[in-house]
Amino acid sequence: MSNNQYWKGLEELNKSPEFMKRQSNEFMEGIPMNEAFNEETYELSSTRRDFLKYFGFTVSSAAILAACNKAPVRNVIPYAFKPAEVVPGTANWYSSTCNACSAGCGTIVKVREGRPVKVEGNPDNKINNGALCAVGHAELLSLYDKARYEGPLKDKANIEIGALDKEVMASLNEISLANEEIVILTSTVNSPSTRGAIKEFINKYPTSKHIQYEEFSSYAIQAANEKSFGKLVLPSYRFDKANVIVSFGADFLGTWISPVQFTQQYTAGRKAINGMSRHIQFETNLSLTGSNADVRVPITPSQEGIYLLNLYNKIASSTGAPALAATTIEGPVNMIENTAKELLANKGKSIVVSGSNDINVQLLVNAINSALENIGTTVDMTNYSKQKMSDDAAMEQFVNDLSEGKVKAVIVYGANPSYNYYNATKFNEGLKKAKLSISLATTHDETADNCMYVMPSHHTFESWNDHEAIAGQYSLTQPTIAPIFNTRQAQETLLAWSGVNTDFYGFIKQTWASNHSGVDFNAVLEKGYLAGAAVIEDLKPSKSIKATKTVIATTTTANANLDSAATSLVKLDADNKGKVQVKLYEKVGLRQGRMSNNPWLQELPDPISKVTWDNYVASSIVYASKNNLADGNLVTLKGGSVATEIPFLRQPGQANNTLSIAVGYGRPRYDKAGVPIEVIGKNVYGLVTFVNGAYSYISYESSIEKASGSYTLAQTQTHHTLEGRDHYRSTSLSKYTANPKSFQKQIEVISLWEERDYRGHKWVMAVDLNACTGCGSCVVACNNENNVPVVGRDQVGRGREMHWMRIDRYFTFEEFDTDGAKDRYRSDFYSDLKVDTDHDGAANEKISDEAFENVSVGFQPMMCQHCGHAPCESVCPVLATTHSGEGLNQMTYNRCIGTKYCANNCPYKVRRFNWYRFNDNDKFDYQFNNDLGKMVINPDVTVRTRGVMEKCSFCIQRIQDAKLTAKRENRTIVDGDMKTACQQTCPSGAIVFGDINDKNSEVHKLFNNERAYHVLEDIGVQPSVKYMGKVRNTFDQKA
Amino acid sequence: MNIYNILALILLLIIIFLLRIKRHLTKAINEKFPDNLEPDWIVDTFQPWYFHLNKIIGLISVTLLGLILLGGYGFWYSFKIGNQQGYQPDQPIKFSHQQHAGLYKMDCRYCHSVAEKSKNASIPSPGTCMNCHRYVQATAKYNGSISPEIKKIYEATGWDPDSNKYLYAPKDLKWVRIHNLPDLAYFNHSQHVKVGKVQCQTCHGQIQTMKVVQQFSTLQMGWCIDCHRTSNVNVEGNKYYEEIHKRLKKGDKWTEEQNGGTECGKCHY
Repeated sequence: MSNNQYWKGLEELNKSPEFMKRQSNEFMEGIPMNEAFNEETYELSSTRRDFLKYFGFTVSSAAILAACNKAPVRNVIPYAFKPAEVVPGTANWYSSTCNACSAGCGTIVKVREGRPVKVEGNPDNKINNGALCAVGHAELLSLYDKARYEGPLKDKANIEIGALDKEVMASLNEISLANEEIVILTSTVNSPSTRGAIKEFINKYPTSKHIQYEEFSSYAIQAANEKSFGKLVLPSYRFDKANVIVSFGADFLGTWISPVQFTQQYTAGRKAINGMSRHIQFETNLSLTGSNADVRVPITPSQEGIYLLNLYNKIASSTGAPALAATTIEGPVNMIENTAKELLANKGKSIVVSGSNDINVQLLVNAINSALENIGTTVDMTNYSKQKMSDDAAMEQFVNDLSEGKVKAVIVYGANPSYNYYNATKFNEGLKKAKLSISLATTHDETADNCMYVMPSHHTFESWNDHEAIAGQYSLTQPTIAPIFNTRQAQETLLAWSGVNTDFYGFIKQTWASNHSGVDFNAVLEKGYLAGAAVIEDLKPSKSIKATKTVIATTTTANANLDSAATSLVKLDADNKGKVQVKLYEKVGLRQGRMSNNPWLQELPDPISKVTWDNYVASSIVYASKNNLADGNLVTLKGGSVATEIPFLRQPGQANNTLSIAVGYGRPRYDKAGVPIEVIGKNVYGLVTFVNGAYSYISYESSIEKASGSYTLAQTQTHHTLEGRDHYRSTSLSKYTANPKSFQKQIEVISLWEERDYRGHKWVMAVDLNACTGCGSCVVACNNENNVPVVGRDQVGRGREMHWMRIDRYFTFEEFDTDGAKDRYRSDFYSDLKVDTDHDGAANEKISDEAFENVSVGFQPMMCQHCGHAPCESVCPVLATTHSGEGLNQMTYNRCIGTKYCANNCPYKVRRFNWYRFNDNDKFDYQFNNDLGKMVINPDVTVRTRGVMEKCSFCIQRIQDAKLTAKRENRTIVDGDMKTACQQTCPSGAIVFGDINDKNSEVHKLFNNERAYHVLEDIGVQPSVKYMGKVRNTFDQKA
Repeated sequence: MNIYNILALILLLIIIFLLRIKRHLTKAINEKFPDNLEPDWIVDTFQPWYFHLNKIIGLISVTLLGLILLGGYGFWYSFKIGNQQGYQPDQPIKFSHQQHAGLYKMDCRYCHSVAEKSKNASIPSPGTCMNCHRYVQATAKYNGSISPEIKKIYEATGWDPDSNKYLYAPKDLKWVRIHNLPDLAYFNHSQHVKVGKVQCQTCHGQIQTMKVVQQFSTLQMGWCIDCHRTSNVNVEGNKYYEEIHKRLKKGDKWTEEQNGGTECGKCHY
């Protein structure tokens, strides 16, 4: 049994009247008969007479239709010459590299008859080992984006590529001959060949400069490393080698540098309960990483430096280094003591990271890691990372030069400063002063709108490229579809302008021939990955630490740097104490907002707030009460170049008196004609500041004020209620060690049903809650695999999201051991906490507002449980949902008449009803509504129509395919042949699927794990999914 | 059922309606001018036996009979909705299976090469035709000129027979699809052809005798299910089936249905 009482949201905990009312209803809203009969306007109401009219019309038209018993003629057009590798009706897989961010995860692309329909992680790539994040999956949809440029433009008018080349080259020559500056502005470029192409360009036009700009930069880490170690690099972090992980605001599981890689490393140290790592997170907003931490300490942004200084001093006092000037901490002092103790006990086996882009903070982090001898073990600077390469100072210099008219030509590729530079007006004004401005963007963006020329680049899926995401680790991108539009790859464009007459494919091969002599290019292409000679240690996450250890000495000036860093950090905190501190963060789905016109990402609920389609001001409960603000109030946000109205949301876990806002919003959504129709959320990049040589994502000078009006955020979290049941079970490590059987519940099963007999296959799934980080990758993978429609903000707000898989997020207050724990970590706030367990509807007044910053979070992926005695099956009047001999709960759409009885009777609330025909309905202008977007549809799964129920099928198409492949190959099914889409992509390996009748299968072992339990086992429905309870490695172990 | 049937039905209804009006009008005239009483054909003909019956019972039985007939027709007809059995459309090239598969005994899989690998049997690309028809031009039959049907292959592939080269851009060849399963049903050729070792003719009829291909089977669910109920799983020699059969421990005869072959989720997902 779980030790904690969980709740889904504040409204449930407080038992708000709306919540109580909603709780008694099955659906959030009444059944919209009016809308169902008239999709044009929501307002039009129809009477009973209208109903009869429509009914009569329908019957008669059906009769007439039936009378014309001739199906439309359907044509089949074969290839003129079938390519040898194409087998119509089966998929080809091509290895490639994900380009959604610059982490360099390897992918394999599923191509059906020449069109990519799914992306999966490449198991051969050592960076991601077969996993992929939500953004990586969604990148596929951006290939079929109606907002893509369809051809080159000059002043927004069409132009031929040849004419454009001629004009641009003439202009470039002129500028170069006049010895005036040309700038190529890109995001991170870690591709050796792309760098080569840029070099060719610079050779041809010697006045050019290449500047890398990241809107969410990690430049401070590189700059600090140069100061501390003399190396201007981003280290490779090894969370798998650390017994103690301390993170200061770094959301390394969600958004920071390389989330998939870090999640794999992190969970490698978390899955095994014995020797489980301890994760301590100090942060402002409740991030995905923070919500997975064993111990989470909410701090204000300005306090980060103070905490680090105190931590450093604690560590220094034991290693004998001189202490730095520091102010004392207000709050949980012994958290620092405990953390220092833990770290010192795990020298060389711990890691301290910070997500801050403040060089002073990163200097301190370096000093701490050095003192702990982590440099060379968990912080690897030999096989350093190229996953984020940007130079904030150079960017700042460039914008200044541009606005002074010094830069005469600008070529923008992969960067979008008109949208995400903090002073976009300054950049735009400067751009006008340039003689030549060219964008090589693929999709409509703000910077391209301000450029004279747009020479659109191929999408990644149409391009060749190579990558070196980590020094010595190479991978390739290959095109998987012929170019859809009249575009040309950016690198090829640069080569053409440099006068190099080769296509980029040939150029890559040249680069590889000179860089990797003796390496078979095609063999690498097939595998998609090459581990270069520089690799000392295998990247595959494992707990063991190998002997190779490269210690890097600190530079002589490092200590002097530390003193000045300490002084300025103390000053920073002192200056900003009492101010409203606003932290900008990236959302797990949308990240920096580069793919904002991607409906999969927009509809992916935020892991914590469960908000879709919007950003908002997340505030601590204390701040909300103090300023009399409620959820959904509109507030006026002012600061930097931002002045906008934005919705307000109370967020448990937010550090008291702080606010946080996600970047990446405020960009338009395009309809099927490629015309912008609405702006999603608000752009808050204007709050970024340039401090101390790097961009700071913390604003100390912003204000918010209540504005009139309110706004309904489309949240998914409160659509279904918990009713005090223990779906999510967790315990602390010490309690678990004392009683490993604590997750099991003794229940007496009385069944009215005959027991089923599964002797062939019996498909089951095990989900390890200790591994699941809640990243949402599985949700997008499922959307892609199973043609799940996007329903939009309005429908999500009405509780009609269609996701087959959701990740339930539960809040709780962690209980601590009573003996001697009182003085630990603010336990006084909730020592008298008593959550309402008898559901009398009375709000619990005892929880103070301050306590809400200390919530603990649990994530639980929830999908159809494929119950043995499924309650949905017994109520279906038309046998549309039936049970298979392999334990699957099948849903037959063509039988379903949409009574919704099944959804009503489902204890897990995993059934989804198609209220509309989401394909071909202009009300839902997402990918299913246009021919381009429809190319993403998985041809092996039915696209459901209006009026039918749907739900997770355990990827039955994949099961059938695995079985058929085994039959064709005359062999038995091997464990692992069959992976569901969610399991395949899970970076933490939390989901395991298989045949429980195979005694050697992984899932068979997991089902007998002592942590495994069925959700709601006491209702006796015999689910096919078992969850393994969460164990938190909290500080309550007796030393 | 076509438009004429509907028209007939509508006309019939109009006749009945008009007859009733006539009757009412006659009745009205008779009441007003009782002297001018004309002999009523209906009364004269039917009265002798019609009035012996209870009027209500008579009415009910006539209505019932009508409903049964209509319902029966509807029931019979409903099974034909969407049934395209016998569908035999004109194709862009008058390709004869009788000649190729029957006369020349070409293996079906020469052209439908992926039937053992894929869910589709696939229509061969004109490039496949060119393997032979680059040389086979049936000129003897057409007084020395190339057969017009074979010329269509050349057009589709862009072949220039004079220079013996592919000179032109290929043109789409729009075959008319004969066997149309609804999108909601999943069917896989390789499961049946390769694994189940079902003959092509079982579903497609004596294709080697068809000059113009027509749909031989109904392709309706009942047709699928009937076969799955009666045909046995060929366990021998397939390690997958051997293993599953061992687990299921069903007798020697093991039908497709006993293997779950009639479960909804086998085809509908």
